[in-house]
Amino acid sequence: MTEYDVIIVGAGPGGSVSAKFCAEAGLKTVFFERGRKPGEKNASGCGLGPRMWREFPEMMKRLTPDVAPNLRMASCVINHYLNKEMEEIAVEMYYPTASVTYEPAKKFITMNCYRSEFDPWISSLAVEAGAELRTSTLIKDLIKDDKGKTIGVQTDTGEKIFGKIIIGADGVISTVAIRSGLNPRWRPDQITLVPQYDFSAPPDIIDKMFGSDGLFRDAADGTWWGVTFPSAYQVIFGDGFHIGLGAWMGQWTSNPINFLNKLISSRPFQRMVKALNAKPREIQTHLLPWTQEPIKTYTDNVMLVGDAGGFPCPLEAEGVFPAMETGKLAAETAIKCIADGDTSKQGLKLYEEKWRKSSTGIEFSTGGETLQRLWKNLFFSVQSEKNNMEWFIPLYHEIRGGHFDWSEPHIIRMRQILETVRSYIPQAMPFFQKYVIPLISDVIEEDLNLLPLFIKLTEGLRPKKKK
Amino acid sequence: MDIQLEKISEHVGDTGDFIKVDSEKCNGCGQCALVCVANLWLIRKGKAILKDDYTKKCLECAACYSVCDIGAIEFSYPRGGTGVVYLKG
Ligand SMILES: Cc1cc2nc3c(=O)[nH]c(=O)nc-3n(C[C@H](O)[C@H](O)[C@H](O)COP(=O)(O)OP(=O)(O)OC[C@H]3O[C@@H](n4cnc5c(N)ncnc54)[C@H](O)[C@@H]3O)c2cc1C
Repeated sequence: MTEYDVIIVGAGPGGSVSAKFCAEAGLKTVFFERGRKPGEKNASGCGLGPRMWREFPEMMKRLTPDVAPNLRMASCVINHYLNKEMEEIAVEMYYPTASVTYEPAKKFITMNCYRSEFDPWISSLAVEAGAELRTSTLIKDLIKDDKGKTIGVQTDTGEKIFGKIIIGADGVISTVAIRSGLNPRWRPDQITLVPQYDFSAPPDIIDKMFGSDGLFRDAADGTWWGVTFPSAYQVIFGDGFHIGLGAWMGQWTSNPINFLNKLISSRPFQRMVKALNAKPREIQTHLLPWTQEPIKTYTDNVMLVGDAGGFPCPLEAEGVFPAMETGKLAAETAIKCIADGDTSKQGLKLYEEKWRKSSTGIEFSTGGETLQRLWKNLFFSVQSEKNNMEWFIPLYHEIRGGHFDWSEPHIIRMRQILETVRSYIPQAMPFFQKYVIPLISDVIEEDLNLLPLFIKLTEGLRPKKKK
Repeated sequence: MDIQLEKISEHVGDTGDFIKVDSEKCNGCGQCALVCVANLWLIRKGKAILKDDYTKKCLECAACYSVCDIGAIEFSYPRGGTGVVYLKG
């Protein structure tokens, strides 16, 4: 009978980081992956957030084009806005702003890396640290003792492996979460379904457009906002790009692929496909937890990290960094609890204490609920009764773009814009009151004294005499 | 843009059966068919059935299992080392 200190299910970012830190501390560690190699079952955007470089500097230094040839820096995001007719009415680009505090976040928003390059690399660091990686192995079940406590795992060939601690890093449909009873089933409002196309494109053309000397300097992230499809993201790599979109289960009014096909068939998207000489290369579909609050993440001898625990951030479902951070915190907890000889849920409570205080936990500490309500009722409202994108896109277009126009004397143009903006107020006001103001009041920590500022601003508005 | 999904996805090995429907429980609501990106479900006589070749086309997202709130769909991943392969995930 083989016995390990720590058994980890899953060799994604969460599992590999857990395995690395456990093995480095001298724990006998094994991690299992159902794919023939890590990464081949996984699909992400996949933009890697700069917090990974801040929290894991030694590791991330080693993510270079040698190990990930198609790595591409995205310093800027291009936002595309499409109207009802699916024509582009606005495009904007933003590089990091002055309030960003650290390097490399000042330099890039994301580093883009295929999972087929990232996962093999990150799992190799765990193997290098002494963890045992077993691929092509599906964990089917947990083994429990007579008191119902988890003491091991069982593979699809019936092999039993025993361990003191089992870490569930097995993603959204987590056998560990289901079988331990921590999460028998997600509610439909906790998970999204995300289909994604991968397109190939010649590297030299991508460079010309999105390289460091390109037309749109390092603009390798994109978003597509529309009135008739849920918000989509685009992530550009060395030799191609991903385009995907998602929505919560139970929200779909038509097959998800129809929405994605509608976007990629649109004229603006086709112009880009043509300019990049891009070709559809792969279809990928994956679930992604996107919740207001992680689930319960520990019980006797068991901890859940990353997607298995519902850790992607509540605003944008960034999930790779949270998986890595919770993976590390679960490893630290395992190291301490094994040393103390207490791996019961009382001992493992430490894990939750740690993640609540972490960068990942802070995402959920305030505003998780209000953030997500805003998001669901705006960018993802196209399939609901109240499609707020119908007024939001033209309103935003008017405010941002209305003044680039010489069609009338400027004073008349300004009146036209203001009147049009005012015509949206019946829809926009209740929306702001219901979704935006609660969020702002959640976010503001100290009193910024905004109210007197607004009053002062409006004091200048003089009532006009009727002519 | 007309894309045939089978042409842009790769599958390896013998997966064995990994999705099962309990036709007693199934009420034919069609949610599984609605969300299946690979279009592998049919509704016949008020019951959901899987297409015969689903093991060679399934993208293993588990949307069908997750959307079935009466629990009529049983899902487990295919055996280790088989099934869909994402080369550019
Ligand atoms: C389409 C899409 C786009 C996304 N875009 C981004 C993005 O741009 N940036 C970002 O930060 N996040 C993104 N995310 C979220 C991110 O991908 C996840 O949050 C992250 O991968 C979670 O890591 P993990 O290690 O917890 O789980 P996973 O990455 O899912 O890894 C779990 C691993 O466990 C294996 N496994 C599962 N079950 C078993 C089993 N029973 N036995 C053995 N092995 C098993 C799987 O094969 C897999 O390798 C995206 C997600 C999706 C679906």
